[in-house]
Order: sequence, then C-alpha cells, then structure tokens
Amino acid sequence: MLKPLLKEKKHLIQDYCIERFGMDSEIWNNYKWYSGSKNKIYIANTLDIERIVPESKGICIFRLDKSPKPTTNFLQLFGKYVSKNFLEINNEDTIKYCKGEDLILENSNSIIPGFILITNKNRALGCGHWNGKLLKNQLPKSKFCKINFL
Amino acid sequence: MHRHQNIRDNLISKYSSLVDDEKKFANFINLPLKQSFRVNTLKEEKEIVLDKLKEYDPKIKTTEWNDNAHISELDNLGSSLEHFVGHIYIQELTSMIPPLVVKDLMKNISIIDCCAAPGSKTTQMAAMMENKGHIIANDARHVRLKSLRGNLDRLGVTNTSVTLRDFKSFPNTKADLYFVDAPCSSEGTIRKKNSVARNWREKDYIRFNKLQKGLLGKACEMAPSGSTVVYSTCTFSPDENEKVVSDILNKHDMKMKKINIKNLKSEPGITKWNNETYNSEVEKCMRVWPHHNDTDAFFIARMEKC
Repeated sequence: MLKPLLKEKKHLIQDYCIERFGMDSEIWNNYKWYSGSKNKIYIANTLDIERIVPESKGICIFRLDKSPKPTTNFLQLFGKYVSKNFLEINNEDTIKYCKGEDLILENSNSIIPGFILITNKNRALGCGHWNGKLLKNQLPKSKFCKINFL
Repeated sequence: MHRHQNIRDNLISKYSSLVDDEKKFANFINLPLKQSFRVNTLKEEKEIVLDKLKEYDPKIKTTEWNDNAHISELDNLGSSLEHFVGHIYIQELTSMIPPLVVKDLMKNISIIDCCAAPGSKTTQMAAMMENKGHIIANDARHVRLKSLRGNLDRLGVTNTSVTLRDFKSFPNTKADLYFVDAPCSSEGTIRKKNSVARNWREKDYIRFNKLQKGLLGKACEMAPSGSTVVYSTCTFSPDENEKVVSDILNKHDMKMKKINIKNLKSEPGITKWNNETYNSEVEKCMRVWPHHNDTDAFFIARMEKC
C-alpha cells in the first residue's frame, strides 16, 4: 500500500538528483510522492481514488535503502534532464548492457563513482553503478533482452 | 493446421452475409498481418523516433487514418533499442482505434479503463493526454497486472493508478470517460493469432455475451450524466457486439453517438442477426472488417449517459 512520502525523504532525493545528476528541482513540481514496500519511492500525478486501494500509482523512481538508488524507469523518463554523471556507450556495449552484463570501460575520468545514467546516441538506457573501473549493471532482470536493432 | 483452416472457413461462411465483398473478406482473413506500432510521445518526438527506425526498415509506412500508426516490414521491432527505452509500443492498428474515437475528449479528464491489461489503450490515452488528467487502469486478473505495470513503467506513464478488481464489483466511481474493451472470442484477430483458431468454441458466444453485458452495464450504471462510455471488442460476432449494446440501450439511460475517423473505412453496426432485431440506434456503432483497411476486425460503440 502506498503512503504519502515524508517531506524529509522527498528533499533527500531531490537534493541527491540536483547534486548527482545536475537536475533542476522544478521538474518535480507536478508530482505527488509516495512510499511503497521495500523502501520504494513512487511519483504520480494522479488523483486519490475513494473506496479503493490501488495496487500502484505512477512509476517507481527510487529505492531508499542506506542511500538513494535511482531506478532505470526514472532515468529513462528523466534522462533528458541529466547534465552530469552520465556515460555514453557504443553499440557493442549497449547490446551487452541490455543483456544485463557488467562493462569494463575506459575514458570515464569525468564520472564520479556512484550511480550513473547510461546513454547511447542520446537515448537514455538506464542505470549503472560506476566504481572507477567497472560499470555494474543495474537493470532489473525483467528488462534483460537481446537487442537486434540499434 | 487442418482445424485452423476449417475455423477460418467457418467464419467466412458465417459472416459472408454481413460483409460488402465476400471474396475480399475471405482473401484477407487468410493473409498474415504486418507488425504495427505507435511512437510513445511521452518520451520522445515522433519524427526523431521514426527517423531512427527507418535506419532499420526504410519501408516503414504511416496509415492514412492515424498519423501515429505505423507499419513495418520487420516482424521483430520488439528487439529494437527504441522498444527497450520505451520510445515505441507495438500495437495492432485496430487496437489504436478506441482512443481515437474520443480524441475530442482527451484533455485533462478522468478515465476508468475497466479491462486495461496489458495497457495498450491505457498508455495510448496517457500519451494523448500528455500524462495529465487521471486514468484508473483496472484488471480482474492478478497475472495480467505484471504486463500492465511493465508497460506503464517502460512508457513512462505517471497519470495512472492500477487497480485489481472484477469490474462488476468495482466501487461506484465518477469519471468523465469509461472504457470497456471487453474480453471477447477475439475472432477478429485470427490473422495474427493462431491461438484464436485453436481455442475457438461456438458456446463461447453465450459466455462472453453475459460477461460483456455485465461489464458494460456496470460502467453505464456508475457513469454520471454527461459522461462517455466506449465499448469495444475484437470480434466479428454480433452476439458480442450489437446485441450487447442493444440490450444496454434498452435497459440504461444511454444515447449513442456517431463515430467517424477520417480516412478509415468502416461500416455501421448491423440491426438484424439470427432472427433477432436490435435497437436501431446500434447503427451508430462502427465495424471495421479486415479487408477494408488491411487490419484485424474491430467493433466500437460510443455512448453518452443522459
């Protein structure tokens, strides 16, 4: 069951997005924030329904365990607002990424270790975790797929 | 294979009296369908996505009746990066019709999609509304919610709440638009799905008719005055189409609205079938036959609560 998110947690995530991804805080203006099970955070611009509890609302954007972790759904939807800590990968690595594989990459000096947005030719692919040497794949298993056209 | 062809032949002979051109109908029902899709404008501009897709298939065409309905020669666009990132949604052409018949309403409104999974029409309406307004996407089966949620997530739909209820017991909820894309015998999808031929049973008509009347009746019952109800199926069967609408018109205070989609060839609803005469207003319904626009078959009715 979704509950309205506490203000402190909302600000924690907004500050993270501003600091980590250089996002503008105005992109959140039209959304309501909710917390669900397993520390999942949702945003939605829906109305509250009377007399029925919905299974879900809007999309899950973060998991808030020890630190905030952005979801692939979030980065695919809001990727266009990301101005730092994103990494462009080539077609060969994109196919591997979509299969769920981790990537060993060079020329990633400007990236601060942590969660990053992966892109291919301006298309926001999803989330990865960069530790300075290895890009750990953060795609959920349900999204793993074989890409034939890119 | 033999049984599949028998069922196709049965359908052809059964409905030949309803179609304008029996030979064409028989011909098209045996032809495979090409893959069709729409661009998800919630995530990217249509022209940008189409330009990219034309690198894979230069023959991509846009239909004359819907500027966001496209046909590809490829049959596996589901393995394109555009599909992965949610820039396209693979959807049958006819399945895109119901939201188009209420295009005039698609602003900041509230919608209840009574049988929403897997979310083709829900996500299409969300895109038409630019993620504004509010959609309740309901489905009766838990197993189908996974695909519904997966599609809402992939396409970036934020204006939708998902509910799990048998719609017949859904709490009375006011909305501007009720969508009843009812479970049906799916005869009209026989060009695409062999499972239709495999699972087809004569007695299904009675079972589906009862279910459809229950769902549409519930939507009409809870609809406030002035609100719109859209009923659609992907079957040829008048028992699941005009008969359902006719019974609803006779019981509920609803009035039919005429449907017109520019450049889409269609026929009006029929008023007589199997020695039964339906409410004459069902002529305002829309029937799309496979040979008219090289698509599946489809049936749509638009009603307004008085």
